[in-house]
Amino acid sequence: MSRLQAEHLYKVFGKRPKEAVRRLEAGADRDELRAEGTTAAVIDASFEVEEGQIFVVMGLSGSGKSTLLRMLNGLLEPTGGRVLFEDRDITALSGRELRRVRSQRISMVFQHFALFPHRSVLENAAYGLQVQGVPRAEGEKRAAEALEMTGLAGWENSWPDELSGGMQQRVGLARALATNAEVLLMDESFSALDPLIRRDMQDQLIALQRKLRKTIVFITHDLNEAMRLGDRIAVMRDGRIVQNGTAEEILVHPANDYVASFTQDVDRSRVLTAGAIADTGNGGIRMAKGGGRPTVSAGTPVAELFSPFSTGDGPIVVTDDSGAPLGVVDRERLLSALAEEPRIAGDDGPRPDSAEVSAGA
Amino acid sequence: MPEFHPGHWVESAVKWIQGHASWLLDFFNSVLTGLYNAINHVLGGAEPLVMAAIFTVLALWLRGVLPAVFVFIGFALIDSFDLWTEAMETLSLVLAAAVITIVIAVPVGIWAARSKTVSAAVRPVLDVMQTMPAFVYLIPGVMFFSIGPTPGLLATIIFAMPPGVRMTELGIRQVDAELVEAAEAFGTPPNRTLLRVQLPLALPTIMAGINQVIMLALSMVVIAGMAGAGGLGEQVYSAVTQVQIGLGAESGIAVVILAMYLDRMTGALNERVSPLGRRAAAKAAALLSSSRLRFLHYKPGTAVAMCGVLVLALVAGGLNFVGTGANGKQEAQTNVGKGQQVSMGYIPWDEGIATTYLWKELLEQRGFKPKVNQLDPGPLFAGVAKGSVDFQTDTWLPTTHKPYWDKYKSQMEDLGGWYGPTSLELSVPSYVKGVHSLSDLKGKGGKFGHKIIGIEASAGEMRILKKQVLKDYGLKGEYKVVSSSTSSMLAELKRSIQKKKPVAVTLWSPHWAYNAYSLTKLKDPKGSFGKGEKIHTVAHKGFSKKNPIVASWLKNFHMSEKQLTSLENGIQQAGQGKEQDAVRAWLKKHKGMVDKLAPVPGGPQQKGKEAGKSVNMAYFPWDEAIATTYLWENILEDRGYKPRVKQLDPGPLYTSLAQGQTDFQTDGWLPTTHAQYWKRYKSKMRDVGTWYDQTSLELSTPKYMKGIDSMSDLKGKGAKFGHKITGIESSAGEMKILKKVLKKYGLDKEYKVVSSSTSSMLSEVDRSTRQHKPVLAVTWSPHWVYNKYPMKKIKDPKHAWGKGDGIHVTAKKDFAKDFPELNGWLKKFKLSEADLGSLETAIQNGGKGKEKESTRKWMNKHPGIVDQLAPVKK
Repeated sequence: MSRLQAEHLYKVFGKRPKEAVRRLEAGADRDELRAEGTTAAVIDASFEVEEGQIFVVMGLSGSGKSTLLRMLNGLLEPTGGRVLFEDRDITALSGRELRRVRSQRISMVFQHFALFPHRSVLENAAYGLQVQGVPRAEGEKRAAEALEMTGLAGWENSWPDELSGGMQQRVGLARALATNAEVLLMDESFSALDPLIRRDMQDQLIALQRKLRKTIVFITHDLNEAMRLGDRIAVMRDGRIVQNGTAEEILVHPANDYVASFTQDVDRSRVLTAGAIADTGNGGIRMAKGGGRPTVSAGTPVAELFSPFSTGDGPIVVTDDSGAPLGVVDRERLLSALAEEPRIAGDDGPRPDSAEVSAGA
Repeated sequence: MPEFHPGHWVESAVKWIQGHASWLLDFFNSVLTGLYNAINHVLGGAEPLVMAAIFTVLALWLRGVLPAVFVFIGFALIDSFDLWTEAMETLSLVLAAAVITIVIAVPVGIWAARSKTVSAAVRPVLDVMQTMPAFVYLIPGVMFFSIGPTPGLLATIIFAMPPGVRMTELGIRQVDAELVEAAEAFGTPPNRTLLRVQLPLALPTIMAGINQVIMLALSMVVIAGMAGAGGLGEQVYSAVTQVQIGLGAESGIAVVILAMYLDRMTGALNERVSPLGRRAAAKAAALLSSSRLRFLHYKPGTAVAMCGVLVLALVAGGLNFVGTGANGKQEAQTNVGKGQQVSMGYIPWDEGIATTYLWKELLEQRGFKPKVNQLDPGPLFAGVAKGSVDFQTDTWLPTTHKPYWDKYKSQMEDLGGWYGPTSLELSVPSYVKGVHSLSDLKGKGGKFGHKIIGIEASAGEMRILKKQVLKDYGLKGEYKVVSSSTSSMLAELKRSIQKKKPVAVTLWSPHWAYNAYSLTKLKDPKGSFGKGEKIHTVAHKGFSKKNPIVASWLKNFHMSEKQLTSLENGIQQAGQGKEQDAVRAWLKKHKGMVDKLAPVPGGPQQKGKEAGKSVNMAYFPWDEAIATTYLWENILEDRGYKPRVKQLDPGPLYTSLAQGQTDFQTDGWLPTTHAQYWKRYKSKMRDVGTWYDQTSLELSTPKYMKGIDSMSDLKGKGAKFGHKITGIESSAGEMKILKKVLKKYGLDKEYKVVSSSTSSMLSEVDRSTRQHKPVLAVTWSPHWVYNKYPMKKIKDPKHAWGKGDGIHVTAKKDFAKDFPELNGWLKKFKLSEADLGSLETAIQNGGKGKEKESTRKWMNKHPGIVDQLAPVKK
C-alpha cells in the first residue's frame, strides 16, 4: 500500500492560477506563462511513495522540488491535483485537521536546520511533542530518546548556537523523529553541511531507516546523495518530473539527454551493482554453474569488485540472496559498465577497441 | 491660488465634540488622569532616598554595581536640587504615557506585521503622529480636558506611539521565515506561532521600540508642563518664561538624569526579559567569570533583586505610616528653632519661675534648646547685660528694678510688659470679717496679734510698707512688720488658714496665693503702695536681631491675672523640681495657648471659616500677578485653606477659568488689555473686583535719551532706535493699542513693533541700559523695571493710550457660591502702589524660585496684613 501519493499536482503563482492550470493541461508552455507574469512552479507531478521507502526528488534550483515538497504537507496549497496520504486527501482537509496531520503524522527537516534559538536543544527536539500537547516530562523523555538516536546524547541542555552545523541538523532530525510521525519530509537537509559531515549524516539516515522504516521524501540537488539514499528517484526539470525510477534505472536507462547529462558525474561504481552488470545470458549462467570461482551477491556495489579482479583473473560469479548463481562478471564487462556511454544491461555488444588515453583522463 | 481654510472645519469639529461627546472626553480624562494619579501616588509617596534606593536596586539587578552607584548619585542629586516631587511627577507622566502607548502600539504592530493592508494603512497615520507639531494637539487637548496631566499625556502618547508600532512590526517581520515555516510544519496554530516563536524572537526589537517610546515620552515633558501637567516640565517652562536660568539648568539636569536612567534600564531589561537576551547575558557572564574585577560586574539574580525592592518598598510604606505623614509635616512646620540655644535666667519669684518654665516649654516645643538658670537679681541683670543670659521675664518696672535698669540699660533691650498692673498690698483671708481696706486695720491690731507677716527685708515692698503705708494709715505703733522670707510668710498664711485664724500678710499681685486661698486684698485708697508696675521681659541688646521670631513672641506675650496665678498655683502644687511638668499640665488645660503665645511664623493662626478647602489659583508671569498670587497663597495657607498655584499662559488660563478648573486669578487687566479673553468667556466668568486702579500703559526709554520725553518727540527720531520698538507678547492687549497709538502720533510708518515676550523685552532693556544704548520698550506701570533701570515713561499728551486699566480679580462663574468667605475677602482686596511696589521688589530681591518665602518675609514686615486682608469674623 502506498503511504503517500501525489496525483497531477500543479502549483502556479501569479494571476489567475486556475486558468493557467487549464492552459498547461492543454499543452501551453511554461515560458509563455512566464511572460504574462504567471509562474508555473510545479506541473503535473504524479508519483507514489511506498511505506518504508526513501523517495528522492532531485533537480536543479528552480526545478520546483521544494515547492512540490511543501505541497505534500499542505504548507503550500496545490493549485491543481491532490495529495493522498494513506488514501485520504490531504488537500481537502480543514486547517485544524491539517495541523493535526502535521503534528502527528508528517514531520519535516529543513535545509538551514530551523532550530529555535531561544530554546535549548532538548526543547527544540521536544517542540513537535509540545504542539501535540504531550505533557512536558514525557515530551522531554521522548525528545531525549530521539536525540540519543541521532547521536546527541549529553547535549540536551546546550543551545543551538553552541552546536556545529551537523549537530544542529541532527537536532532537526531528532525533532522530526520525536513525534513518531510516519512520514518525514526532508528539504535539502544535508545541503548546508560540509562533505564529510554530509556523508556521516547520510550514513546515519540509512542506519536509522533500517531501524525505523519511515516513509521519507528527500529533496536534493546532489546526484550522488540521491543515488546513495534513494530507493526511488524522481528527476525534476522546470516543474515537471522527467523520470521516476531506481538509481540504476536512471543511471543506465536515462529517459532523455537531460537526465543523462545529470548523471554524467555520478560515481557509477557506487551505484551500479554486480547484479546489474552481470552477464545473465546462457553463457554467463553456464560459466557460473561451473563453479570454482569467487562469488558476490547481486546487490554488491561494483566498486567492491575491483579488489577481487586485481588479484584474481577469471570472471566472478554473481549470486542472488539465496546463493543461487545469476550470472558472471568479467573484467571487460566491469570496465564497460563504468564507461561513460551507458549501455543497456545484458547487451552483449561488441567490445570497444582498446584505445589510448592520456594519464589525466 | 484660491484660499482654502480647512481650519474652520477643525474648529467646528472641536466645538461639536465638546458639545456632544463630553461623556467620551470625561471617560478618557478619568482613565488617563486616574492612571497618572495612581502611579504618582506610589512614586511620590515614599521618602525620596528610599525611592532612590529602590531605583538603585533595580539598576543593580539590570546593570551591575558601578551603574547602580551612579544611579544613586543621580537621584540623590535630584533630591538635593529640591526637585524630587517634580521628578516623580514627571516619571509618573512618562510611565503612564508609556504604559498606554505600549498597550496600544504592540498589538497594532503585530497586526501590521500579519497583514500588508493594515501595514500600509497604518503607515501614513504614524507619519502624521510623528511629525505634526505637538502644540497642535495641545490646543484642543486643553479645551477638551482642561489643565492637568491629561492633555500632556495625550500629546505624549500620540508622539511616542509610532516607534512602538514600527519596531514591533519590524521585529516580527524580521523573524527568520524558516523558523515560522518550521513551526507551521509541525502543526502550530497561527496564534501560537506568534506567541511561541515570533514574539520571543522579535522581543529585542520590540524592546528597542519600547525604549524609544519612553525616550520620546520624556522629551515631551516640557510641552506637558505647559498644559498643567506639573513636574520637571513645568519647572523648565516656568524657568524659561521667567528667565530663571539657574532653575532651568537644574530642571534640565534632572530631566537628563531621568532620561539616562530610563534609557539604560529599559535597554538592559531586554537581557532579563527576552530569551535571546538572557542567552546573550549568560554568554557574556561566562566570559567574565574569569576576570579579576568580577565584583564590579556582579548582578544579583531576579529573585534577590525583587526581594530587595520589596523590602525597601515596605520600609517606604512604613515610614509613611509612622510619622512622616501629616504628623511629620506638622512637626516640621513647628520646628522653628531648629536646635538653636536660648539661655534664660530667673529670680525665684513665683511669676519669674512660672513664666520662665512656661517659655522653656514653649521654646522646646518649637524646636529650640533653652537653658534655664536661677540667679539672684544682681547677677541676673549682669548676665543679661553681658549676653550670657539672652532674656529674663521678671523685671518690674518702673519702680522695683529701676536701679538695675538704670545701670545696664545701654546693654539691654526692653521687650515690653507682659503683665500689668501689678500691685503691692496687704491681704487677709476672706473669712476675716469687716476688713476690706487698709484703713480698716486701724484698731484691729489685736485680731492679728499686732503682726503683719512680711517677706525679705530687702524687698522693695517692705521698705514701702514700713516707710509709707504704715505711716499713711497710722498703723505704726499698732502693727509690727515681721521680716522673714516669702516662703515663711506663705507657710504662716497656710497655717493660719488651716486653723482659720486671722492673719495679715504682705502680698502682691499677681500671686498664686490668690488662686490657692480665698483672700481679700486690702484696698489702698491713699495709694501708699504706689502705682502698679508692669512686668517686663528684658533681653540682651541685639536679641531681637539675632532671634526675631522669639523676640516677636516675647513682644506679643501677655497673660491675665487669672492665667498667671493658676499657672503659679499649678507649679506650686507640683513641687520643687517638677515645674516643667506643671507647665505642661497647665498648657494642656489651656488649649491653644502654645499657638497663641508662640505662633509658628506663617503657621496655624486663625483658621478661616472655610478652612480645608482646596483653591486653585493660576497666574501668568507678570510681576504683579506673581506678587499677588503668592501673597494670597500665603494668606490662604494661614487661614487653613489648601491653595494650589500653577503658572499658565493667558490663553489656557482663561480657558481653565471658564471651565472652572482654576478658581480665580488676580491679574485681570480690564477693560482693555485682556478684553479679548473677557469678551470670549465672560458668560462663564465673574469679575470679583478691582484691587488696583493706577495702571498705565506706555512706551519707555532710558533716562539718558535726551530730548525724548513725549510721544510727539519720537517723530523723526526713528533712526536712533533702529526704527524698532521692543514689544511684548503679540497677544497682549497693549500691543494692539500700541498700533493705534502709533497711528495717532504718525509714527506707524517710521517704527516697527517687534513682538517677543515680556522677559525678552526686559532683557533687551537690561542689555541696552548696560551698554548705554537707545531702546524703546513697551512697558506698563506698575512695574519694577522703573526701579531697576534708569527708564522714564514717555508722556502721552494726546491720551492715545486711553485710560489705564484696573487690575481685577477674575474668577470662575460659581466662585461666590463655592467660596463665599474668600469671595468676600477678594472683593475688598486692595493694595496701594507703595505696597505693591515693595512686594514686587522684595520678590525680585529674594531671587528666583523663592517667591513664596520672599512674600512671607514681606508679610512678616507688615504684621497684621493677614488679618487686614482676610479678616475672620468671630
